[in-house]
Amino acid sequence: MKKVLLVDDDVDFCEAVALLLESKAYEVILAHDGKEGLEKVRAEKPDLVILDVMMPEMNGYDVCVVLKADPELKKIPVVLLTAVDQAIFRTAYTQHMGLMTEAEDYIAKPVESEELVKRVEALLS
Amino acid sequence: MLIKPSINMLVAENDIAMMQKCRELLLNDGHRVRTAESVEEALVIIQRHPAEVDIMLLSLDLPKEGGLTLIETLQKARPELLIMAMSEDCGEEAIEAMHAGAYGCIRKTFTPERFGMKMDRAIEAFRLRRQLGILTRQRQAALTKVSHDENLLAILHSLSDGLVVTDWQTNVVLFNEEAARLFGLTEEKAIGSPVSVCLESDELLSLFVRAIKSDTALVTLMAGEEPVVKVGDKTVRVHVDPVKNAAGTAIGAVSLFHDVTGVSAMDKLRDDFLSMVSHELKAPLSSLLMQISVVLDGLAGELTPKQDDLLSKAKEKTKGMITLVNDILDYRRLQEGKSIQKIENLDMADVLERTADLMRLSAEEKGVEITFDVADDVPAFNGDRGGVQAIFVNLISNAIKYTPKGGRVKVSLRKKGKDIRFKVVDTGIGIPSQDLSRVFEKFYRIKTDETKSISGSGLGLSIVKGIVEAHNGFVHLESEVGKGTTFVVSLPSEA
Repeated sequence: MKKVLLVDDDVDFCEAVALLLESKAYEVILAHDGKEGLEKVRAEKPDLVILDVMMPEMNGYDVCVVLKADPELKKIPVVLLTAVDQAIFRTAYTQHMGLMTEAEDYIAKPVESEELVKRVEALLS
Repeated sequence: MLIKPSINMLVAENDIAMMQKCRELLLNDGHRVRTAESVEEALVIIQRHPAEVDIMLLSLDLPKEGGLTLIETLQKARPELLIMAMSEDCGEEAIEAMHAGAYGCIRKTFTPERFGMKMDRAIEAFRLRRQLGILTRQRQAALTKVSHDENLLAILHSLSDGLVVTDWQTNVVLFNEEAARLFGLTEEKAIGSPVSVCLESDELLSLFVRAIKSDTALVTLMAGEEPVVKVGDKTVRVHVDPVKNAAGTAIGAVSLFHDVTGVSAMDKLRDDFLSMVSHELKAPLSSLLMQISVVLDGLAGELTPKQDDLLSKAKEKTKGMITLVNDILDYRRLQEGKSIQKIENLDMADVLERTADLMRLSAEEKGVEITFDVADDVPAFNGDRGGVQAIFVNLISNAIKYTPKGGRVKVSLRKKGKDIRFKVVDTGIGIPSQDLSRVFEKFYRIKTDETKSISGSGLGLSIVKGIVEAHNGFVHLESEVGKGTTFVVSLPSEA
């Protein structure tokens, strides 16, 4: 069973996404801030990390940069999840930041459940 | 026979017989007549007796082409003087004379009747001209009288709003203490100077000119309009009205300035609050959408058809709210002037290509055929990447949104002169002609049966217009109901 780590400070969102991904037969681990997320990546070695950008403690970009700088962890694909204050520039900005942090994919929040599953499946196949 | 009031005539002609003929005809009509045989002599007479020459009959055959120069000089020095030219056949030289300012031209082969008719017309024109001059002087004097009335002045100075009065040529004739405080006006500096100089604002000048001219157009252009203008470090709400005399003629403009410098700080607070609320709404709405989706997918247990129906509707409503929140955020950014954040040298074809994938996807979902045609010679553009991308995304996704299944959307990007031309053509439902001028207004949405099912906030096009104009470009729109719509964005490649 593939292991997905979801890092997001919105507990309700995590709960819903966990339900969704578990229904697709993934094991879902949750973390609710950047630091906790980083610890769980190291401890659990997930197959995929879904990283919210706006989080307390350590934001998603920083977590991603740390992960990608670690030779052991850099091959774990990362999906950035963001609802940042870049409404007009949603696509462009997220794309830009994704490139900067070398994340494998980015998803603008809000996201439809089918879309999220599609992206996750694509990265894990 | 009608008795005509006499006019002071000057006949300048070196052909003595001709001069005598004119003189007699004019004397017979009861006018006073002086004569001159050369340009120099005519000038001397006009200078010595300025009030005794109303109309000059000037031969264009005077030596040294003196006639033309004389006309030009006199038009400047004595604009109220009317000059009637006279020549053999009123040809080329007559046209030149009229260009220089002559009222008309008489052929020297005239009959007495023809001469009389021509001169009558000139006299009529002279009278009108003199009347206009008198009116003009009255107009100018009318407003300056106010500043001699102390009681009136005391009232005006007591106003808590700034007051500036101009004459009909927009020169300042009066202002009160609040206006002096607001704009740093002083008597010496302001009185008699154009309002555009005193207040340093082209926008204001246009308001004054419109107010003064509004008496000729029956419609009051200013109705309901109270623009907020920045003058120096002050932000003021302006109201300009024409000042009309008893006859209803605009003799000037009166303006009131309400200092809203502090109020705009309040506006900002309100806007910040709006932004904050929007942001705070966005995160829970994202959760809500995901929660509903998961339940709808049956992941929290089997749903009855009724539950499914209710939740599906809740999901649509949630998505609508998310779009609205996004649009409010976009619009806020635009108002804050953040639509241009960072100017960089953009490869437009590349920027378009990056949005194309997304757009192809949504066109495919909708069942609309989409084509991209990008010319090789599109020059680089200095602009904001996000802004340009927002133009592309908004216009293309609109085209897809308003084009029924099976329709076509053609996107092209090319160089046109010095401009970069971005064009989106669709075979969609089109925009009714009465709505064309309003589609760029914020929150404006066309309400027909066809658009009822299409969700949107009515902000997309006003966002596009804002960004395009911030880049010194313009948006052009053509549409026909049932045939489709074409949007053309022109951006200057040399900013």
